[in-house]
Amino acid sequence: MRFERIGREPDYSRYMDLKEGWLDRRIFSDADIYEEELYRIFARSWLFVAHESQIPNSGDFLTTHMGEDAVIVARQPDGSIRVMLNSCPHRGNKVCFADAGNTRRFVCNYHGWAFDTAGDLKGMHEEYCYDAGDIDFKNHGLKNVAKVGNYKGLVFATFNSDAPSLEAWLGDFRWYLDMILDNEEGGTEFIGGCIKSVISANWKFGVENFIGDAYHAGWTHDSGTRSMNNGQPVPPIDMDNSYHASVNGHGWEFGTEGVGDLFLLGRPKVMDYYNKIRPKMAERLGEMRSKIFGSVASASIFPNVSFLPGISTFRQWQPKGPMQFELKTWVIVNKNMPDDIKEEVTKGVMQTFGPGGTFEMDDGENWENCTTVNRGVVTRHERLHYRCGIGRQIEHDTLPGIVYRGQYNDANQRGFYQRWLDMMTHDEFGKMPARPEPQLGNVGETRDLPGLFAL
Amino acid sequence: MTDTATLERTCEGTTASLELTHALTQTLYREARLLDDEHYKAWASMLAEDLHYHMPGIETRYRRDKTEQVTDLTRMAYYNDSKPEILKRLSRLETGTAWSEDPATRYTHIITNVEVELTEKADEFRVYSNFYAYRNRNERDEDSLIGNRIDIWRQVGNSFQLVKRRAILKHNVMLSKNLNIYV
Repeated sequence: MRFERIGREPDYSRYMDLKEGWLDRRIFSDADIYEEELYRIFARSWLFVAHESQIPNSGDFLTTHMGEDAVIVARQPDGSIRVMLNSCPHRGNKVCFADAGNTRRFVCNYHGWAFDTAGDLKGMHEEYCYDAGDIDFKNHGLKNVAKVGNYKGLVFATFNSDAPSLEAWLGDFRWYLDMILDNEEGGTEFIGGCIKSVISANWKFGVENFIGDAYHAGWTHDSGTRSMNNGQPVPPIDMDNSYHASVNGHGWEFGTEGVGDLFLLGRPKVMDYYNKIRPKMAERLGEMRSKIFGSVASASIFPNVSFLPGISTFRQWQPKGPMQFELKTWVIVNKNMPDDIKEEVTKGVMQTFGPGGTFEMDDGENWENCTTVNRGVVTRHERLHYRCGIGRQIEHDTLPGIVYRGQYNDANQRGFYQRWLDMMTHDEFGKMPARPEPQLGNVGETRDLPGLFAL
Repeated sequence: MTDTATLERTCEGTTASLELTHALTQTLYREARLLDDEHYKAWASMLAEDLHYHMPGIETRYRRDKTEQVTDLTRMAYYNDSKPEILKRLSRLETGTAWSEDPATRYTHIITNVEVELTEKADEFRVYSNFYAYRNRNERDEDSLIGNRIDIWRQVGNSFQLVKRRAILKHNVMLSKNLNIYV
């Protein structure tokens, strides 16, 4: 099914030239472009909706948003997960007001229409008011999404029945994702709770910051880094042995020194823990990935999920209009970590990347002002510079994706906006170019692939 | 931690004397003034070495849901800090590169509804209060953070030190871009 907005066919390619390395600022502030993003990106992409550990038992649910669509994510009696609109088909009211919980039924407060956890309509208040033929129960459930997928614990959903499989959507980026999702036996889980905050900035600024902007860390976060590490600044970046890697708009920027993000977390016990499991990680994921994990790194999954491997903040930038997003943050840990290490990670994340965290505090104001200055009509027509490292693309033996050398780079950001442009421009997924062509082939499991040279 | 008074009342609370109530109320006001003026070193001197400073994240859940969101310290929290951890956060302000604090944020802490109770420990007192922490920044940035607190304060000589604080912010989605404030 396609959701289309009538009467809009602007040429989005005029908003950027990624070969030259510039963007038009209107994509960060224009209300029409934002509306079109909801149709063409959020209603068509695979979107993160939950970690499976948040809803372990039958009847467990949580509520979230896919774009601006409110949805319920619910565990079924058979163990599967369903995702459905949080909106009653009768008058449209929300049927669930809790962030999370456990239930057998979602019951609308307005007229008592009641739905089971699969979204099927089961009954309503004073059912006798409907005559035979007035209502077909089968067609008046909570609208389910087109597809639900699970990649190593991360649950995604899409409204788009034409979307490729989740595995194909993530593609070779799975090789990178395994570093956070599969670096130890047992996989991962989220710590209980979710901290939400509001930032008056365009959602893309959060995503692009995590997808590639190592460059800001040493400057924006000088104070945070020094406070967490006895006055020491961000360690120098090795431009020869650090990279940007982009796959279909997903991106991971990283060093290979193994300790940078763990150092920024400011928790020696967590550093020790990972150093202890690193030899096993090398057996599991290969030498290269065991060296990348824990390095100064950040990553985003297109369109709106980000995380810091090693620091363990996991977050989603939920769009709320062109000039506002809601930031949802969680803590991701390995399931098999001892409790005291999980506690150390949780405290470390909240002290660095919670709203009161020494790093987080300096980000929001930058993104807000990058956005709100574009209220000025002259300002919004000025181009932004995205050319850093534009000549440093390399072929790498081991690393899949479009790879650039040097962690201080705008390459992943350009990759993200290229995918944005592809989605804004193409009506059919099949006609969208792969960037790059899948290099790891059609494999079911990327954990056991040490890298490209193995093929 | 077990040898300090608990935040939860374990026996019928006994209201403190007028004099003690006055002394602790003045202590809360003094603390608020130090925070308004960013006198963080002086504020830190009011914190006991065995401090636990906790502001849990609160999800919206149905009444029937018995998930313990406040006292379960393994859950996500804005603050779940010891004194050294608070000092670490504060040290950011001394680096000279805390960009989002320069120009300075303007703070006002309003503390109300103060009640003081005796506890099972002779030198420790349970203090309830409400806070309204107002922030204004740059041109129009403005936040209001409102909530309740339960503290344990310990008498040390003629003054008091904060041993435990649980602050419950009433936001679900924190309606602000950060939390560069202590309440």
